[in-house]
Amino acid sequence: MPSLKDLKIRIDSVKSTRKITKAMQMVAAAKLRKAQESAERGRPYAEKMRDIVSNLASSVKNVAGDNKFLGDGNDCNKFLLIVATAERGLCGGFNSSIVKLAKSRIAELKSQNKEVKILTIGKKGREQLNREFESLFISHVDLSNERNITIDTARKISMDIISRFENGEYEVAEIFYNKFASVISQIPSSYKLLPVSINEKESDASNVSFNFEPDEDEILNEIIPKSIATSIFSVLQENAASEQGSRMAAMDNATRNAGEMIDKLTIDFNRSRQAAITNELIEIISGAEAL
Amino acid sequence: MTNKFELSIISAESKVFEGKVENILVPGMVGDFLVLSNHAPCISSIRPGFLEFSEGTSDKQRYFVSGGIIEVNNNMVSVLVDSAVSGDKVVKEDISNLISEVDDRLSSEDTVNKDDLGLRKNDLEEALKQA
Repeated sequence: MPSLKDLKIRIDSVKSTRKITKAMQMVAAAKLRKAQESAERGRPYAEKMRDIVSNLASSVKNVAGDNKFLGDGNDCNKFLLIVATAERGLCGGFNSSIVKLAKSRIAELKSQNKEVKILTIGKKGREQLNREFESLFISHVDLSNERNITIDTARKISMDIISRFENGEYEVAEIFYNKFASVISQIPSSYKLLPVSINEKESDASNVSFNFEPDEDEILNEIIPKSIATSIFSVLQENAASEQGSRMAAMDNATRNAGEMIDKLTIDFNRSRQAAITNELIEIISGAEAL
Repeated sequence: MTNKFELSIISAESKVFEGKVENILVPGMVGDFLVLSNHAPCISSIRPGFLEFSEGTSDKQRYFVSGGIIEVNNNMVSVLVDSAVSGDKVVKEDISNLISEVDDRLSSEDTVNKDDLGLRKNDLEEALKQA
């Protein structure tokens, strides 16, 4: 049976933990709102970019001609997995769920005898993957100094990725991140970044024939790096929102658990105090009777 | 009344402009061109320079763009820009900074497309004169 003093110390310590988790939850909530707003603002650009690329790609297909960025990515042997995670922990399963998805993909590719390379964005993913796959790392992007994600950051990352693509370091690039479904649910997802595949269904009925200036190929060479930067930008934004959402949920849970623990400890504390009082009373009464 | 069409200028981080305009002058990659309503569908890349459009009243609006893509389709004009600054706010320093950025990249040895960068520098210097 712990003494009264021990219980008191424990209650105090859990109380201060609860204060910290509560503060972290509120900070995450504020950051989440900001992240969501900036993701919202970037959406029109990303959507229009996708439209233009699919318009372009479908008309390039009509004209024939092979652009180096286009293709379906089948029959390729060199894969680059871009794993985007957070710089910080204490956000529930956020980081490990992305890493888990990436790991299963690595295992799948390896069983097909494909060559796999890894590029990580964010410290946490790197730490977790380092244990098993250190030899596969080719680069790491550190975001710890970025308070807000800007398009410039995304551009730098995409320039690096594209120059590696042009140098033939890999043939297919896939990116792993957490999709922001809602505050309480984030879905680890992945998609193919490069090469850009032509979507048949998107070249719909409004098959307008565009004039291109300069020609299709040159525009593609210009727009695809841009669209990749945009994709990376929106991935980073979704990730940032998911991270904060996930942290908020985790910290909310922690705060609630701390509350429950305090209630339980307080009952224990009261009970042992009452026991001590009763004990003293018995001693006094039996002392009085003895006289 | 003259014909108007929808124009939206969007940068990666925000919507810069959205509304109905009468015409827009675009610094295209191959040369400047003017878009009026019922323009044939086209997609063109934009070099760094000034974008000018008027909403119908006499005064024109001017934006400095550092490059991008324009799509004209069915009287909907969308301009995707890398960055856009309203003409009144353009400071010559900003453009000079962009020029020195290009210079840095030109001087670094591993750059492959020196021609492109040189062209970009010319465009920027041209824009600096107009600012």
